[in-house]
Amino acid sequence: MNIFKRDASLHEFSWENLGDVKEGRGDLGEEMPVIVYRLMQYTMLDILTKDFGADKANEYFRRAGFLAGQEFAKNLLDLTVDLDKFLANLQDSLKEQKIGILRMEAFDADTGNMVLTVGQDLDCSGLPITNETVCNYDEGFIAGILGAYTGKDYDVKEVDCWANGDRVCRFNGTVVS
Amino acid sequence: MYLRDLLYYPNRAKLDYRALPEDFQELGEGLVYFGEMLTEMRRLARDISRGDLNCPLPSSDNELAASLKSLHATLKHLTWQAQQVAKGDYNQHVNFMGEFADAFNEMVSQLRERRDNLTDEMKEIQRKTNDLARSNSLFETITSMMTEWIVMIDRETGEHLFANHPVKNDLASDLFEPQLYNILFDYAKEMGEEDEPVTEEFSLLSDFAIQWFSVILYPVKWYGHNAVAAVLTDITDEKEQLQELEKVAYKDMLTGAYNRHFGMKLLNEWISQKRHFVISFVDMDRLKYVNDVFGHAEGDQYILKVAELLSQFSPDAQVVRLGGDEFMVLASDYTLEEADRKLEELRDELVKEEYVSGGGDIRYKRSLSYGNVEVKEDNETSSGDLLSTADEKMYEYKKSHKAERRDEAG
Repeated sequence: MNIFKRDASLHEFSWENLGDVKEGRGDLGEEMPVIVYRLMQYTMLDILTKDFGADKANEYFRRAGFLAGQEFAKNLLDLTVDLDKFLANLQDSLKEQKIGILRMEAFDADTGNMVLTVGQDLDCSGLPITNETVCNYDEGFIAGILGAYTGKDYDVKEVDCWANGDRVCRFNGTVVS
Repeated sequence: MYLRDLLYYPNRAKLDYRALPEDFQELGEGLVYFGEMLTEMRRLARDISRGDLNCPLPSSDNELAASLKSLHATLKHLTWQAQQVAKGDYNQHVNFMGEFADAFNEMVSQLRERRDNLTDEMKEIQRKTNDLARSNSLFETITSMMTEWIVMIDRETGEHLFANHPVKNDLASDLFEPQLYNILFDYAKEMGEEDEPVTEEFSLLSDFAIQWFSVILYPVKWYGHNAVAAVLTDITDEKEQLQELEKVAYKDMLTGAYNRHFGMKLLNEWISQKRHFVISFVDMDRLKYVNDVFGHAEGDQYILKVAELLSQFSPDAQVVRLGGDEFMVLASDYTLEEADRKLEELRDELVKEEYVSGGGDIRYKRSLSYGNVEVKEDNETSSGDLLSTADEKMYEYKKSHKAERRDEAG
């Protein structure tokens, strides 16, 4: 047994396991085409759907998105600032990371519930029209971020999703605890 | 017809595609679906044009309405951004919608700039306020610790502007407060704007009390007032102590008249001031006899009586006991004749009564002799010589009245 190898497994997520991309991809750099990201995402959805059914596959995507949202918030966002500042930072950060353009539509200070849209979404903008809502990963991702900041459990649902060249998705975030 | 109605009369557009020949039913179904999409889009366009952003939205499948839905989402987000700006979040930035974005961003930028300027101004004002509060606190602490009063009055109107202590509480009489302010106002009126501070002493008087003050008056500009700051010190105790010392140093303990030392000092002052006055040298007759026969207590009564009588010479006259049975009176603006007449009147008053000593039944007469010298403004004679002349005249007077005394009992 190689005693110099770390005990950690890539099967258990940690931010460190994302590795040093800059170092590892000296020539190719830290970015790649969105199509490659979607290739991995939708082939995985295909396999999971075939093995476990669409509902279960969507559930896995939502949970993965939630974990990603939490880690994103903890590692890339300042969770100590006030809500307005946090949302402004989140907007900037999502744009900077080319995840999408976040736009707040409403926030209820009493309940914590909110409505927001994500335009030019990494996961779905430009997808062909189907009768499905496909942003399950986004739902989990947003819930993970809001949960990490507020300490509350958010149920985030995509309530509208439409396609043209600039697909926009609208999400309702509701505090469930 | 259906397409025409759909475009121009949407309320009556109706197509029963099942009634169509079978080959056209699918086309008909597609047209009805297209009509529904168009209706949804129309409704959304109408709601947006009315400003109703909480309207129902077309379905996800409605590709026709996608741009309108995008506009709707944009307007909703702009509403949110405007609300955030209204709350003071000037980090909101619109990076879409062309010229509108430029105008919005410029507006937010200007608001931020104004907010920042106002914040800076507020900080500056706060800093000044804090400095002022500290200065004021220091001022109040110092002024409250001061035993002096600081009183500020308007030199044009006499308005009371400031007092570090409630002046009324420390005044010896209720009548003094208006007196005090009147005196300060009189001083203030006399001061020029560029005048150096002025020091004065004054007293407040009533039938029952007297209070002395020294005051330093500073001309100041204060909150738009042409004012005078008066720093007042109550010197009543010092004045009383001084008066007590003067009494001991300058006065004859028995009679309260001035003593010889002070009398000569006063005489020299009057001479050097070139004043016009009369020196009266007064000698009590037969004091030694009274002391020997009736005792010194009776002699003292005699001395007191003469001192009291001489004090009636005139309100301004200064009575000096030179020693033993000798007095000197200095009377300003008297002629020789007036002084002779006055002293003769006083002497008459003294001699008209008979006196009985406390213990016995022997009666005796009291009287006095005097000699007056008038001193004029051009006098060149020394005080000693003037007094000697008055003494000689008194002696002449005494000799000329010797027979009179011999006739008296005792």
